[in-house]
Amino acid sequence: MEQVQNIMKKPKSLISLGVNTQDARISLTYFTTSFATLLIGGILGLIQGLERAGLYQLPQGFNYYQVLSAHGLLLLVVFTATFTIGYQLANLSYAFGGLLPGVRKMVWTGIFLKLAGVILTVTMIALNEASVLYTFYPPLAAHPLFYVGLVILVLGIWSVCLAVFINYRHWRKEHPGQTTPILSFFAMGVFILWFFASLGVTIEVFMIIPWVLGITETINVMVTRTLFWWFGHTLVNIWYIVAISAWYIIVPKIIGGRHFNEKLIRLVVILLVILNIPGGFHHQIVDPGISLTIKFLHVFMSLSIAVPSLMTAFAMFYVMEKAGRKKGGQGLFGWFRKLPWGDVRFLAPMIAMIAFIPGGAGGIVNTSNQMNQVIHNTMWVVGHFHLTVGVSVVLTFFGICYWLIPHLSKRQLTQRMNKIGIIQTWIWTAGMAIMAGSMHIAGLIGDPRRTSDTTYGGSDIALSWLSYEYIFAIGAALLFAGVIIQVFAVFHMMFFAPKGHTEYPVALPEEDQPAVPMWTERWGLWSILLIAVVAMAYVIPIVDMIVNAPPGSPPFRTW
Amino acid sequence: MKQAGYGLTLYIILILPPVSELLESMMVFHMHTQMPLFVFSGFLIAPFLQRKFPNFFNKWNRTGIPGLLLVVLIWTYWQLPRAMDDALLLTMVELFKFISLPFLVGVPLHDSWKKVNAKVQYSFLIYIFLSLIITGFLYIWLDEQICNNYLVIEQQTLGWSSLAMGFCLLLYLSMKLFGKENTM
Ligand code: HEM
Ligand SMILES: [Cu+2]
Repeated sequence: MEQVQNIMKKPKSLISLGVNTQDARISLTYFTTSFATLLIGGILGLIQGLERAGLYQLPQGFNYYQVLSAHGLLLLVVFTATFTIGYQLANLSYAFGGLLPGVRKMVWTGIFLKLAGVILTVTMIALNEASVLYTFYPPLAAHPLFYVGLVILVLGIWSVCLAVFINYRHWRKEHPGQTTPILSFFAMGVFILWFFASLGVTIEVFMIIPWVLGITETINVMVTRTLFWWFGHTLVNIWYIVAISAWYIIVPKIIGGRHFNEKLIRLVVILLVILNIPGGFHHQIVDPGISLTIKFLHVFMSLSIAVPSLMTAFAMFYVMEKAGRKKGGQGLFGWFRKLPWGDVRFLAPMIAMIAFIPGGAGGIVNTSNQMNQVIHNTMWVVGHFHLTVGVSVVLTFFGICYWLIPHLSKRQLTQRMNKIGIIQTWIWTAGMAIMAGSMHIAGLIGDPRRTSDTTYGGSDIALSWLSYEYIFAIGAALLFAGVIIQVFAVFHMMFFAPKGHTEYPVALPEEDQPAVPMWTERWGLWSILLIAVVAMAYVIPIVDMIVNAPPGSPPFRTW
Repeated sequence: MKQAGYGLTLYIILILPPVSELLESMMVFHMHTQMPLFVFSGFLIAPFLQRKFPNFFNKWNRTGIPGLLLVVLIWTYWQLPRAMDDALLLTMVELFKFISLPFLVGVPLHDSWKKVNAKVQYSFLIYIFLSLIITGFLYIWLDEQICNNYLVIEQQTLGWSSLAMGFCLLLYLSMKLFGKENTM
């Protein structure tokens, strides 16, 4: 009896049996949306690859920029966001032993709003009313309903953010003097960033709507671009925090180890949250209207993200070496071979992490003024983000699917499915290596991005890009095969795999770790610091852009 | 004393000519980055000095109030546009800035903060808040150039930045007053 009571007294998170069934339905709804989107996005990607290489022509009535707008928006915003939210909510439910009933309702409202928003925006693109690419930079102007769709989408995200904040606060009240479980701490970081990230783009959209309706005649193009990258860049770091939540907490368990010192993990999250948003300026290095000094200062802002990234790299190697040695790995690199390479739950995020090394190096090139001038708006950039998002983030997400989806659907991850996952991972890796690799090289010799036909009347230089574009197409074909396998795997694990239990692999801390400091929980203070950093970073350029504004631009429709 | 080491490192970085010139080249960074960072460096160094010279602090700043008055006095002085101008033109004034902000603001602030009660702490924060809001509106509304070294637009930028910082401080104050500290 006494023992039972002792167990009951343990913090909920330690006896949690997994994700609550009602919450599982929420996450599975998100994953369904996510992978349906991936399928469509993948088809569009293949079309782009083939069209650029001149191997395929879109039928009458469709144009390249329409396809590219849909590909960018669907994959960059819809696919990643729905996955992120589904996964983080599962983590939250796991960590807190279920979401609150009211919170669940808010989350469902969020899902419906988001779906409505996505359907509206995508319909406008499909009707060829919004071929403005995912950045929708003014003075390109889409149909007003496109922007209305974006607003509804953001409302959906806010609804989920608010739900998460309420649940987090509730847990803290119920557990005075305790720090929250680490997975929920990550979730909090993710949703705080979601909230502040979408603030920028919301202001932008509310500048655009009256302009496309003709209520205001002109728009300040530079301000809108700046607000867009406030969001766009932060989105990148949202993925990054989501990915490292798996790297830090899930991967160690899968390889039979423990997670790294929790205080340092929390510090990484806090730094990413506070310092992140102003990094957006590195997307505007060649924009006029921002003084050189400011651009110079922002190099520090963007490179400051390298600090938590390097901390992560060291922590991961530490954890992996320790786990490998525990399994008997000898010598300098023996531990490396002891890692479970045949387990897709490990292989996929591991390749993701490795890809982050060249990805990060490319990022340093992009953020350096002189080098940026060489690669700006070339295929290099497209290669860069297919490597970072397309591998580091996406493969981590794919790896998560192989345990999370069967866990949620109360099914098993079979040997066969693991095999399929391994094959999928290698096909994806090969496809991205081929496509992103050749995109980098083509970019260096000048091949422009976002261009359907790059022959330029047969000029010699332009023709030198063509062989690389064939290589893009080969990579694209492989990737398309990868998409098909992944989508098959996801829906198979969701609906058809044998019933059973799949473990939710959450690592424990190492023995004898010091208590996690309470000050890490001061999310109110972190948010205020975030606002202060944003204010300092944005005040000079924004005031300058508004006070010394050039004549604004009327809307243009170029397609 | 690791913390004092960080403080000293920060201080040395701040007084390096390329760093100080870069920060002073823009009014906002002069006022809202360089100066607060100087104060912060002194704040970090303070425990070391307190341990080294306990008698000095006990004798001159037993209640914490004298220290806080000194802080208010010096900080208010550096709010004057004229003071910033002088610092840019006269080496002696620049030197005074480098010394006064860490050692006459940062250090006494650290020494006083724990000694005074919550009411005094709040009053101090409200003073900072009001000074930010008042200078903020002043700088935004004034059409005249009040610093020889900075353009009107930089002045306006500083005004907006002051309002933003004031807003942050307001959030912080309300969080402290109305929220339970440990649930935030
Ligand atoms: C089947 C897999 C994929 C293929 C074959 C593919 C291929 C391509 C190609 C050829 C381009 C066009 C480049 C241009 O003309 O500028 C492109 C652009 C893009 N892709 Fe992919 N991609 C794939 C997957 C992804 C994924 C998974 C993501 C993100 C999660 C992604 C995000 C983007 C973005 C944001 C753009 C830029 C759109 C723009 O410039 O407006 N792609 N992709
Ligand atoms: Cu960025």
